[in-house]
Amino acid sequence: MNTWEFLYNGFLVALQPENLIYALVGVLIGTAVGVLPGIGPMSGVALLIPITSTLTAGTTPEEAAASAIILLAGVYYGAMYGGSTTSILLNTPGESSSVVTALDGYQLAKQGRAGSALSIAAIGSFVAGIVSLIALVFLAVPLSEVAIRFGPAEYFSLMLLGLCAVSGLAGKSMTKGLIMTVAGLLLATIGIDNVSGVARFTYDMPILYQGLEFLTVAVGLFALGEVFKTILEKESNDGHIVKIGRVTPTATDLKDSAGPIARGSLLGFFIGVLPGAGATLASFFSYILEKKLSKNPDKFGKGAIEGVAAPESANNAASGGAMIPLLTLGIPGSGTTAILMGALIMYNVQPGPLLFDEHPQVAWGLIASMFIGNVMLLVLNMPLVKMFAKIIETPAKYLIPIIIAISFFGVYAVQVNTFDLYLLIGFGVIGYFLAKHDYPLAPLVLGLVLGPMIENNLRRALTASNGDWSVFVTHPLSLTFLIIAALWLIIPFIMKLRGKNVVINEEG
Amino acid sequence: MSRVFDRYASVVFLLIGIFFIVESRAFSTAAYGSGVGPDLFPTCLGIIMVLLSIRLFYETFKYPPDNDKKAKLDWKRFGTLLIVAIGYALILEWIGYVLSTFLFLLIGFQTMERGKWLKSTVISALFSGGVYYAYVHVLQGTLPAFPLL
Repeated sequence: MNTWEFLYNGFLVALQPENLIYALVGVLIGTAVGVLPGIGPMSGVALLIPITSTLTAGTTPEEAAASAIILLAGVYYGAMYGGSTTSILLNTPGESSSVVTALDGYQLAKQGRAGSALSIAAIGSFVAGIVSLIALVFLAVPLSEVAIRFGPAEYFSLMLLGLCAVSGLAGKSMTKGLIMTVAGLLLATIGIDNVSGVARFTYDMPILYQGLEFLTVAVGLFALGEVFKTILEKESNDGHIVKIGRVTPTATDLKDSAGPIARGSLLGFFIGVLPGAGATLASFFSYILEKKLSKNPDKFGKGAIEGVAAPESANNAASGGAMIPLLTLGIPGSGTTAILMGALIMYNVQPGPLLFDEHPQVAWGLIASMFIGNVMLLVLNMPLVKMFAKIIETPAKYLIPIIIAISFFGVYAVQVNTFDLYLLIGFGVIGYFLAKHDYPLAPLVLGLVLGPMIENNLRRALTASNGDWSVFVTHPLSLTFLIIAALWLIIPFIMKLRGKNVVINEEG
Repeated sequence: MSRVFDRYASVVFLLIGIFFIVESRAFSTAAYGSGVGPDLFPTCLGIIMVLLSIRLFYETFKYPPDNDKKAKLDWKRFGTLLIVAIGYALILEWIGYVLSTFLFLLIGFQTMERGKWLKSTVISALFSGGVYYAYVHVLQGTLPAFPLL
């Protein structure tokens, strides 16, 4: 079968009535998650995993996995749309990838052009989503054909590269990023070793034999950690919402934004493909690029429509681009894709080169549903943006306890024991304190998800080479990955030594 | 960046690293048919962790001194909610999902902000009852039922 037939079959999966509903629910919740400051795409996706697993109970594993990932991915890219709404209307970005949008978006809103800014953001996100999906369609098969020739040594080095990239760019301090990665990998070793069957770090506690559940850790760190932050630091939205006028762009706005949207989409896509560099970096770079290219750069920051179009296209394209390493190589490049990967593994679907062979229904169903989801977002966002803006007004009094209750329900429904609830609370507290002191949390989750696979590949490679470590440097591909991984850590370090500012990725 | 927090954290991470190295010594150094045993990976990671935590400790000396101007944190509300959440986990399997969730939400809402008892009660009841009904009766899932039924 060629790509077109696969895509056609994917659309057959995505167009099933229940999957259409899952995609719709996903993008709606995603938009709400993007609008609400405090819940980012990571905690949004993590909170919804347990709910999807109950919704899809009773169908075959393959169908359940396809439906679940359709909904969860919808949350992911829906959040990219929603994030722009609060940036423009309130000057408070709903998530980190929309920080740059606030610079010009809020100025536009104050000038009474909120409607134009919102509609350009939606159109830019849509175009970017489609561009990155088309690239995903054409790159998926060739990339997984390359990846399928990888041996354990190549895989180990590639995963190491992914981890280095994410921890190198993750926060203000690379040391802290690396510590969090190693902590995640160490936590992943708890439980039965799946090569030799030995119980490690379990101390005869049966509950630990299956290891720490990634879902509990992710929900605790991101959702509860964020909740505790809101309680302790009394965050509130004092800003009032700017009135929205007509939600249609003018012809000049469209003409001015066409170039920035096209450039933002392409740039965002390539940045998204790189592990570690996510939507936040993409939006940041595309804003700088537009400012450099512009004939009158002075108007940026004072309400330039280009300053909304470019970053909003870029962050959406990046979230599409981030799906490529996840689906074809099985390497998540960001916190949110790590959580998506964990969700797929929960359904016994292993992302990676074999995904397109073994589970074409899941892989192509997801890709097709992302086309449909992007159309849904464009159609829904234009008329419903006023309704979404209302979500911001949900009082924290009710929101906070309900988020805790949803986390409890989600974890209990999947794990059915109270040990995980205590673990959830514990990781929530740890997550708050670590995040407060600039310890990035995404690398920890990434380490936890990738840990077992890295260890397996390491031991398979060493077993095949009779314990000879040189196997990692004698295989040319493996050596290349290791060199890139080392450069990823060394170059920012040298740049810092020379006093240059290094751009970092907050989360996403 | 807090110098004090990072120093304590580096000591904790150092201890975690040492713990994993020491405890890995109990595992066999080889698996059947392979010279690579289950001890290798945690030991290596433990060593990296120790090195990184020493590096972090060293970095804290280069920090600018902590400024005392601290944002006031609402410890009382946080502590109350934390205790209520732990209590929720304790009584969940004992008095059932609906009752424990109802109580948790009611107390939680009131901890966040006093007043509006009627609205709090209605939302708590709708959430706990709604989730239980949808999950157990519609989706056929399992949650702890009422204690007396």
